[in-house]
Amino acid sequence: MRPRVCVLYADGTNCDRETYYAFEKAGGAPELVHVNQLRSGERKLADYQILVIPGGFSYGDDVLAGKVLAVELTSFLADQLQAFVEAGKPVLGICNGFQVLVRTGLLPDARMGEIKVTLMTNDSGRFECRWVYLRVEESRCIFTRGLAGQLLYLQAAHGEGKFYTSPRVLEAIEAGNQVVFRYATPSGEPTGAYPYNPNGSLGAIAGICDPSGRILGLMPHPERFVEVTQHPNWRRPEVKSLLKEPHGLAIFRNAVAYAREM
Amino acid sequence: MAVWEVRVANLPSLPDPVGEGVLYEIRHALGIKSITRVRTAKVYRFEGIDGHAVRLLAEKLLAEKVFQIYTINEPVITDAAAVVEVAYKPGVMNPEAASLMKAARDLGIGDLLAADSSREYGFYGTEIAPEELEVVLKRLLVNETIEQVITEKPSTLRISGQPGKTEVIPLREMDDDQLMELSKDRLFLSLEEMKAIQQYFRAAGRDPTDCEVETLAQTWSEHCKHKTFKSPLIVNGKEKEPLLKRLQEATAATRHPLVLSAFVDNSGVMEFYDGWAICGKVETHNSPSAIEPYGGAMTGSGGVFRDIMGTGQGARVIASTDMFCFAPPETPREEIPPGCLHPHYLLRRVVAGVRDYGNRMGIPTNNGSVHFHIDFRAKPSVIVGAYGILPAARCQKGQPVPGDLAVVIGGRTGRDGIHGATFSSGEMTHRTIEVNATAVQIGHPIEEKRVADVILAAGEEGLIRAITDCGAGGFASALGEMGEKTGVRVWLERAPLKYQGLKPWEIWLSESQERMVIAVAPENLPRLLEICRRYNVEATVLAEFTSDRRLVVTYEGEVVCDLDMEFLHHGLPRRTLVARWEEPPLEDPEVPLPQDWEEVYCRVMGHLNVCSKEPIVRMYDHGVQGSCCLPPYGGTGGDGPNDAVVLTPLLGSPAAVVIAHGLNPILNRIDPYYGGLWAIAEAVSNAVAAGANPAELALIDNFIWPFPDEEALGALDRAMDACVDFVRATGMPFISGKDSLSSTYRGPGGEVIKIPPVLCISAFGRLPDARQTVSADFKGEGNSIVLVGYRRVEEMAGSAYYDLLGHLGRNLPRVEPAKLKAVWEVVHRAIKSGKVLACHDISEGGLAAALAEMCFGGNTGARIAVPGEVRADYYLFNETPGCFLVELSPETDPEALFGDVPYRVIGQTTGNRRITVEQGGKRLFSLPLDRLKAAWQEPMARVFGSVEVGER
Repeated sequence: MRPRVCVLYADGTNCDRETYYAFEKAGGAPELVHVNQLRSGERKLADYQILVIPGGFSYGDDVLAGKVLAVELTSFLADQLQAFVEAGKPVLGICNGFQVLVRTGLLPDARMGEIKVTLMTNDSGRFECRWVYLRVEESRCIFTRGLAGQLLYLQAAHGEGKFYTSPRVLEAIEAGNQVVFRYATPSGEPTGAYPYNPNGSLGAIAGICDPSGRILGLMPHPERFVEVTQHPNWRRPEVKSLLKEPHGLAIFRNAVAYAREM
Repeated sequence: MAVWEVRVANLPSLPDPVGEGVLYEIRHALGIKSITRVRTAKVYRFEGIDGHAVRLLAEKLLAEKVFQIYTINEPVITDAAAVVEVAYKPGVMNPEAASLMKAARDLGIGDLLAADSSREYGFYGTEIAPEELEVVLKRLLVNETIEQVITEKPSTLRISGQPGKTEVIPLREMDDDQLMELSKDRLFLSLEEMKAIQQYFRAAGRDPTDCEVETLAQTWSEHCKHKTFKSPLIVNGKEKEPLLKRLQEATAATRHPLVLSAFVDNSGVMEFYDGWAICGKVETHNSPSAIEPYGGAMTGSGGVFRDIMGTGQGARVIASTDMFCFAPPETPREEIPPGCLHPHYLLRRVVAGVRDYGNRMGIPTNNGSVHFHIDFRAKPSVIVGAYGILPAARCQKGQPVPGDLAVVIGGRTGRDGIHGATFSSGEMTHRTIEVNATAVQIGHPIEEKRVADVILAAGEEGLIRAITDCGAGGFASALGEMGEKTGVRVWLERAPLKYQGLKPWEIWLSESQERMVIAVAPENLPRLLEICRRYNVEATVLAEFTSDRRLVVTYEGEVVCDLDMEFLHHGLPRRTLVARWEEPPLEDPEVPLPQDWEEVYCRVMGHLNVCSKEPIVRMYDHGVQGSCCLPPYGGTGGDGPNDAVVLTPLLGSPAAVVIAHGLNPILNRIDPYYGGLWAIAEAVSNAVAAGANPAELALIDNFIWPFPDEEALGALDRAMDACVDFVRATGMPFISGKDSLSSTYRGPGGEVIKIPPVLCISAFGRLPDARQTVSADFKGEGNSIVLVGYRRVEEMAGSAYYDLLGHLGRNLPRVEPAKLKAVWEVVHRAIKSGKVLACHDISEGGLAAALAEMCFGGNTGARIAVPGEVRADYYLFNETPGCFLVELSPETDPEALFGDVPYRVIGQTTGNRRITVEQGGKRLFSLPLDRLKAAWQEPMARVFGSVEVGER
């Protein structure tokens, strides 16, 4: 059975179609659900097995990226979201979705409310779109099962993606193996150096999960690399020969597989 | 009612990238060194709530204590030498305000009456002179068209105003001088046109209202009516058909099987695959961008996206393109004419506008170019294109029937862009900025995204009878056009307003962005409104289509406009225009052979029209929608340019859209005929270099021309001849186009600057399988490099090489369409066969630039031989389009692929990362790739600031 995936969108969400497609290709049954439909009760989060908040500029990223949607979710859907999480269902936030998750508090602690980490304006001061290498860390993250140690190549496209937090929280996240992805050099070393680390993220952190490993947020876009021809250099012989599967697809497959097991 | 202020800044220990960006510009663009640091803060203001609610907003919405600090009603930057707050002027809608209101409501704060936000800059340094600060504000931070410095807390955030009245203009009794006085700076109509209006009202036995006169001026404006393009011509004494008619007839005669809709809808439509169609539209937004580049570029993008959204019964926008012409960014300030903005500022702000609109709407911007010439100092050319996909069954322009309702959806109406249509049809003068400040506004891409979502949903359910956007001329244009064949009855007071105080004619003519009009059958109205509610889109029934062929507008019961549709659309006096063309007196220079090849090659690579534009492209999201399968920059380092973009808009299907363009304004100064052909040849060659099938491409024209006096019109006529001859020779159709004939600047002392005439050609088409495309980066070492195509290397006029030597020249590339067609077919077949490893078309900078770019992408070197009998500099730097560099494996026989057209194996790729050129067995030079690349990347890196960030 294909698990039902709630592809949540609001005003300004704009990566919904490709996220939908990625889940569909990975074996899920995605559905676009407007936040208004959840607020009105026309749709219920409990009817889905996976929740994804796609990329975009929700409410124009006014005030801070993802902030206005985070306030909306916290104000009206906190109970539904908390119940969804406590039921052990996977939640994925990509780019703007990641920003929303940290601003609701669902990352890093799976608790709505307190904001412990943040995603700041890139050190470059501007939006940038470029492909980056990500080292997959050892973690409990269910989205990256079987991928630890691998180097993924994905596109980053954001203006506010610099991961930042206090030393104490960073220590806790590291100690809890909650860092899932780090920006890396082509040889796989985590790096703070631009442009491999496109935004100046602390600890080269590109994505984190909650302690259970079921909530994942990341800045780069796995949904933009689920077909071979989405790779910027798929025509090059050295890429063709090494590329077994588009790098983003495994993340969606893992989510679907996990939901099936539940 | 008290206004509360919340100020938010990053913790002082953390970087402030916005401030650092401002500092970079202060130091590099303005050369001011006394300012050593800039910190920024956001300022939020709220009216109608108490201190408790303000604190809640600060804690829950405005500031995150992980990295920020906030203050209430107190300064937050306290240690700077100077702190300056910059805000939008009242009436310029700040898009953030609505989000503040929404979030406050979501937090349970119900009594908030108004909110606003702005930015504060703290300048650090012990020796900042007041004049320096003045320069920073004036040239960098405050565009007085829309922004102002706030020196004291405003007493209210609300804009109040009384509804304005409709005035009757005593037109019937006016003499010629009075008519022209009325027209000047407001209507931009000729005396003949003013008299036709006078005649109509004399016959009607009454004087017109301001609303009627404005409606006519708008409908008859050059911008909307394209009078020049529709008038018969007398060129050098010979009668010729109108420009547009010639192009449309040539296209119709091709009977191209893929063309579904040409020149009738908001964009041109061609067939795609599996029941889908694709459409394209390219617009100019020069006048607004010249006075407020950020807002101008944004609303340009927003407008062209709406053209796509308003095609057929609604299309989805899949791509955005941008082509700009500016004066060189380093132009000395004293050379910039009064009333014009500096190109460094213009370039950065235009790019920012295109970036913010496209990125936020989720439209990939993946094809474009920037051209520089000093004569763009008076007015830039800002060209923005958009492409879309829609079901072929719903791709024809709709026609409302009597009884249908006109529903306006999207943004509210304000005093934005009043006179945009008439203003953009007028010449730019030193008074332009003062008089026409209302012609620009800040775009709201999220509003437009919501509207786009509604259109797709409503289109899928078949609810849309007809749709159009409110572009130039606002409701007047949208409803006037939609109702041309039926008649329309408008209740203007129903229009939702941003604020009170607009006169009826202002509501009617306002060009507030992000509004569209949908004609809907009454029985479908409830469902349409329901969809609008789902997407948070405001929708209002504004009018009803009638059957009396009159345009009747009332405002609270008072008739403010009652015009005969026939007169409105066809009452414009027909003119015959006189044009004259003479070949300009130009000579070809005597150019010595280069002594220092390294210097010459590096200078060509660093020429502004050749250099890398990657820093711009990186700021555009070119991957959103997941459709890109040939990025603007690719190759091993992601910095090798490709010629076209290839998109697969239907995820999961390999069916591809190819998009490319070409322009070379300076050639039009020599001969617009061959300049025009160059642009078309370049556009198509770019598409073909990526793999496009020339038989399945359609073209879009954009003419940006000086005010059409006899001479400019003669040049225009020649450029149109080029288009028509091209269509006839190749069978390739034009399916959309736009002209903007106001590229003339008149200064206070009567000096005239004619901006170089621009003909920008866009090409788009389809391919059944994206895997039949190639990129431009060399794929390996030891492969053959083949030059394919026709060229005469002595045709050097207008080249970057000549320009660097201070010459324009006369002998420009004279391409022949029929020969080009043969080359394109051959190249397309070769790519389709899978045997081509890389392909790049030759354009600015010539073969040498194309070769270097292929090496950059592949991180390889190349060794080539120039034939013994030709001048090596011409061979390397000639810019004839329709010529290609192709990489083949050594096993592939080039004769089998290219034998039908001229070709030559010129060399091989190498592993040594050098470009080596020989002639007659002797080495001319051998240069390291890195040196060429550094020269090529440097100019734009300097404008946009290369950022160096170390390990943290």
